[in-house]
Amino acid sequence: MQVQRSIARNQRMELFLDMAELVSGLLLVGFLWTHMIFVGTIIINPNLFNALAAGLDRYYLSYIGIPFIIVIFFSHLVIAGRRIPTRFQEQKIMWRHASMLGERDTWTWVFQAVTGMAILVLASIHMWVVIENWPISAVFSALRVQRYLWLYLVLLFVGEFHAGTGLYRLFVKWGWFKRQSVFHVIETITVLIVVMGLGALWVFLRLGVRVV
Amino acid sequence: MANRNLKINIFRYNPAEPEKKPSMASYPFEELPGLTMFTVLNRIREELDRTLVFDFVCRAAICGSCAMIINGKPRLACKTLTKGLPKEITLLPLPVFKLIGDLSVDTGTWFRHISLKTEAWIHTSAKFDPTAVEERMDNETALRIYEPERCIECGCCIAGCATANIRDDFMGAATINRVARFMVDPRDERTPGQYFDVIGCDEGTFGCMGLMACDNNCPMEIPLQYQLAYVRRKMAAFGLGGWKGTGRTGEPQHHRAGRSAS
Ligand code: FES
Repeated sequence: MQVQRSIARNQRMELFLDMAELVSGLLLVGFLWTHMIFVGTIIINPNLFNALAAGLDRYYLSYIGIPFIIVIFFSHLVIAGRRIPTRFQEQKIMWRHASMLGERDTWTWVFQAVTGMAILVLASIHMWVVIENWPISAVFSALRVQRYLWLYLVLLFVGEFHAGTGLYRLFVKWGWFKRQSVFHVIETITVLIVVMGLGALWVFLRLGVRVV
Repeated sequence: MANRNLKINIFRYNPAEPEKKPSMASYPFEELPGLTMFTVLNRIREELDRTLVFDFVCRAAICGSCAMIINGKPRLACKTLTKGLPKEITLLPLPVFKLIGDLSVDTGTWFRHISLKTEAWIHTSAKFDPTAVEERMDNETALRIYEPERCIECGCCIAGCATANIRDDFMGAATINRVARFMVDPRDERTPGQYFDVIGCDEGTFGCMGLMACDNNCPMEIPLQYQLAYVRRKMAAFGLGGWKGTGRTGEPQHHRAGRSAS
């Protein structure tokens, strides 16, 4: 027995953190998918996009939603990030183990850790530039996409990958459904959203060219 | 059809001779119909290298002693046919467990430790009467106990688990599966709180990251994802539903091993 470990032991907290990981993950996936559908309205019509943005603004949904999501975003970083090995030796074991097994679910976990870090940087920049040029409108967004095209391309892929695999893993851990079917459903949704995201970026690019 | 000429690469290291660095040795081997890794290893030891160390007892997927890494996957050597493998076969000892030598690891000490830690026996206040007729159990419960009970403690799930590879105290699928077995057993009188003490922690059910290498590689095909999720849900339900039972959460497990059942 080690005194410091016994004193610091709190199983209720360990459960709480596991639940917080579940809830923050679910909220972020829900947010991301809704966000992408909202962004996707640009494909239908820029006026629809503007009306939606103005509506969210008028009813203060943006002012409640954005700070809330930022808090969840950083909490998720800390809560889910606690599982990431920090020592070099552990990271090397993880990498070698994933290569040795060659199994999808272990590999995707490694990429989840990596994409998580990428999202931290890219999404922070994204949030910063959006808030700095408030309010949201099709023209501003088009100019942003012109300027940060590479950022948005990378963020689209890593964000959707991270969200999709994270959601899959939550279902796996809590065992509500058969994992193979869950995988296929989430995979399909992810592909659809990535395609829609690419479409939205393309529309923004063309819109940007006209504005400039 | 001519028999294939296999190349068997085997990890060699004897912890008792630390001056000899770990290395890989290759042995040629002519494949025969129905050949298993059990036969391969025994013939290599008999004909090519008498110093090779590995474990077998039952050679029928019952004892669990022949688990090793075969071309990257945790497998029972006695249950693995060479037919499904490429010409070059690489054998490594299981990670996580203490290496005895070459392909032999000590899974026994590990499993004994977690047995004590989780008190993996029926806790009952009923007095055993050897003359009485055994109490009846409905078929569904019996089956739910039987499923996790099929575990042969080979260690494949532990070796395949990346979490167990980096966290020395992580108890892994075999342990959680074992606790699940007692949780469904009506004869075990432990309260949810007592189970929570044992398994509701980061070394137990909450430490699992859902990598599913256990579920993918269990030689007995025990539905480990289902077992892990079952325990996680039960423990979360208990933890969130207030603290009834004896949820003495401040107390570490290892020195409770051997505590009487009452
Ligand atoms: S020798 Fe017993 S399981 Fe393989």
